[in-house]
Amino acid sequence: MFKILKSLSKSLGGSKPAPEPKSTAKEGSLLDKVNKGAPAAAKVEPSKTPEELCGITPKMPKDEIKAQLKMLFRRYNRSASSLDAKLRGEADQMLDAIVQVREKHFGEI
Amino acid sequence: MAEYVGIDLGTTLSGLAYLKPDGNPEIVPNADGERLTHSVVFFDSHEDVKLVGSAARDGGEPDRTIFQIKRFMDDPEHLVEIDGKKWTPAEISALILSKLKRDCSKICGDITEVVITVPANFNELARKSTIAAAEMAGMKVKRLVNEPTAAAVYYAHSQGVKGRILVFDLGGGTLDTTILDVEGDNIKILTSEGARHLGGSNFDDILLEAYAEQYKKQTGAALYTDERHRRRVLQATEDAKKMLSKLQRVNDTVANDQNSGIARIDLSRDHFEKLIRHMLTRTIFLVEQALDSAKLKTSDIDHVVLVGGSTRIPKVKSMLEKMFGKVPKSCGNVDECVALGAALFAKKSSRIQEVCNASYGTLAMVYNAKTKEEKLMNSIVIPKNTPIPCSRTQVYQTSEDNERVIEVDITQGEDEDAKFVDVIGRLTLDVPPNRPKGCEVAVTFSYDENQRVRALVVDKQSGRSKEVAVTYKGAGVLSEEELKRRSQHLRAMRIE
Repeated sequence: MFKILKSLSKSLGGSKPAPEPKSTAKEGSLLDKVNKGAPAAAKVEPSKTPEELCGITPKMPKDEIKAQLKMLFRRYNRSASSLDAKLRGEADQMLDAIVQVREKHFGEI
Repeated sequence: MAEYVGIDLGTTLSGLAYLKPDGNPEIVPNADGERLTHSVVFFDSHEDVKLVGSAARDGGEPDRTIFQIKRFMDDPEHLVEIDGKKWTPAEISALILSKLKRDCSKICGDITEVVITVPANFNELARKSTIAAAEMAGMKVKRLVNEPTAAAVYYAHSQGVKGRILVFDLGGGTLDTTILDVEGDNIKILTSEGARHLGGSNFDDILLEAYAEQYKKQTGAALYTDERHRRRVLQATEDAKKMLSKLQRVNDTVANDQNSGIARIDLSRDHFEKLIRHMLTRTIFLVEQALDSAKLKTSDIDHVVLVGGSTRIPKVKSMLEKMFGKVPKSCGNVDECVALGAALFAKKSSRIQEVCNASYGTLAMVYNAKTKEEKLMNSIVIPKNTPIPCSRTQVYQTSEDNERVIEVDITQGEDEDAKFVDVIGRLTLDVPPNRPKGCEVAVTFSYDENQRVRALVVDKQSGRSKEVAVTYKGAGVLSEEELKRRSQHLRAMRIE
């Protein structure tokens, strides 16, 4: 497996040398660029059910649901402290959906 | 002079402890006679004074009172504006730390060097802001230590236990879960997981909504229309929450400030626990995540230790007991044990092995020879839970012919998907012209005891290299110069 160094500007096809980072305060915009350059990730859509948001299909076995929820919780719990405000907001909605799916499929605590 | 001092800079309460000559830590009360100081700052409009603590919480005007500033320590753009002056979260925290330093030094002696606790999930920026706050308050930070680690140090010291401990620290603003091994004075952290915005104040907000709903139902009016009254009701909900940890049912009466009548609130513990159930389910997720990170099962845990005021909620204890099959133990006074542990940590830090709290890496196009797929990914150089201090190197290849500048984005986060990690800095290195693609570049990340990261990039062919510490910029982040200037200003302020 080769690992080829790619910065954000290179991964977006920019040929000009990138300047020194001006501000990590604008990480949101950087991450937006990553979002465009990277494979599409799940977006929180209000019309979707919690299952749909979590990628849970009707015939999915319990252990797969559990593994999927664990993966999503790890991802969005981390995103809840992201420097990107948009991602933080999305994370909160996803965490709610993850909890709802868990309670539905595995019972309340 | 107090040699070993620990400070718990909490979301709702802060405390300072020092190590007595007999080796036991003790909480030092503030000048108001309180063992813990409310993490609230009030900017008075009549006198040039900053009130910190319960006086600030109880009497201030809402738009001049700052609550829970800790929640914004990781936000580079957060600013608080009072009378046209903009305050960063680090400066507000510095006012709280100044009050602790000034008040407590009258009892335990001069305080110059401290250990400060931070949530396990505090990111790089929040840690840096905490160090800056202490510097502005005139204290050097000997070490930052994660709150559950400090609590575990105190628990191990006071209870004399050994074995594998899971610390469940549910405070005012955050939840931290840490698993560690204790053998005498030696402590080895295995993993720490944290959840932001999951704590007692979230429960208060949920209760506030329930109160407002009840009020509307009974009187047809809104319970509060301004921040001042919202704060008052919030205080009432916090009191009700505390009562429900002792009683099955509480009755309360509330009114708005528009003479819309009085509503009677009848609240049972069961109902309260139902209201916060979703939040508690999140806490269970986090415990499972910690166990998974350490590759452990619930049966591998010898002791479950409760820390933080919100662990007084009976449902918290019962759900953990159900999960682990053993009764969780309280860490003495759950509000004070973090500060007490921090004071112990100040002396024993060399015997405590901590781990890296986040993964650090860079963005890389990863080519899979089997599937022939190429994907932009977060390539981790230092994985989370690596014992610290540490240094790790990963060799990459350049992607284009005649590449003149090598750019390395520094990422924080363990997700492989680049969208879900923070890019916390970038390092650029000029390299000689006319080279083919595929030249090797070594990227080394180093992680120090204060959980701060440095990056070094070495172009193997030319031998050229560049090293940086991650620096943050933003409206809410002070430059070194500004930090010095504001430190001088802050030291001259009247803080009570």
